[in-house]
Amino acid sequence: MNHVDPALIKGLAIGLGAIGPAIGVGLIGASAVGAIGRNPEMQGRILSTAFVMAGLVDAVLAFVLLIVFTT
Amino acid sequence: MVGLFFGLASEPLAAEKLFSIGPLDITNAMLFSVITAAFLVALLLMAAKYSQLHPKSKLAYIIELLIDGIWSVAIGTFGDRKTALKHLPLLATLFTFILVGNLSGSGLLPGVGTITAHTGGHVSPLLRPFTTDLNATLSMAILTIGLVQFYALKQLGLKGHIRHYFAKPLYNPMNLFIGLNEVFGELLRIITLSMRLFGVIYAGEVLIAAVGSLAGNFAWIATVPTVLLEIFFSIIQAYVFMMLSATYLSVAIGGGEHDKHKAEKPGKELEPAKA
Repeated sequence: MNHVDPALIKGLAIGLGAIGPAIGVGLIGASAVGAIGRNPEMQGRILSTAFVMAGLVDAVLAFVLLIVFTT
Repeated sequence: MVGLFFGLASEPLAAEKLFSIGPLDITNAMLFSVITAAFLVALLLMAAKYSQLHPKSKLAYIIELLIDGIWSVAIGTFGDRKTALKHLPLLATLFTFILVGNLSGSGLLPGVGTITAHTGGHVSPLLRPFTTDLNATLSMAILTIGLVQFYALKQLGLKGHIRHYFAKPLYNPMNLFIGLNEVFGELLRIITLSMRLFGVIYAGEVLIAAVGSLAGNFAWIATVPTVLLEIFFSIIQAYVFMMLSATYLSVAIGGGEHDKHKAEKPGKELEPAKA
């Protein structure tokens, strides 16, 4: 355990850190598709809200990328 | 090897100092933000001058489309035409300013980050997208939350504003705890608002650099999908910042939601919606 390749740690950080946002974006997409299926005439508003929520969730992945790339 | 590559490819976390006026150090991000602000003021003033009922000028038409989109967000959040009109300038300023910074961060504006200046013995880019500097996003977040507090104080008065956090029977420990949590959340909003914008845009820029350095000679084609993704994220992040500040404002001044509940009384439900 004395010499761990930094590249391995960075790869693991990206992989583990991407799990949460991936689940979040998946849930957002699933509910958006379900909502559009329920009332298709609201498609525009639902999609815009879904994109905003995806932007909020993606920030978590951005933090991971930020920490990985800058250290 | 890969780690070394990333370290070389990415730009430094802090904005570099170009020159100093007295005790104030002028960094390249500050320079670019001042240039952007001047450019945006000139552009919007020109559009306002040429704007008319049937706009003939294309510039005025495009800017009116943009402002109309922001207007729909404002009226959707505040629910009240007068309040929305009052806060529209703040939202429009935030959106356009952040959008220009973000888009220059994803490499759309030529010259940003590529023109270099030799100052004090080392080479640094003359212009740096200000949203990749934590100082800029933090100051924008502090200003936004400060304005939210200011408008809330103006609208509700000091007592009403404090009542907004601490519910009526204050001796109830649960109410006190919730109130303290809300005050802490207000401080946390500054951090999340600034870190989200900074993190996404800076990580995007570093990602483009990393993909470019990994692709070697084929960087010109390999970075295209990343750049497209970053353009998408730039627009989304500018929109998110604007929408979150609109939401904070509408919650703080107690508009929007209460009116909506009033409008959705069960007696009025039978009236046909004329929209």
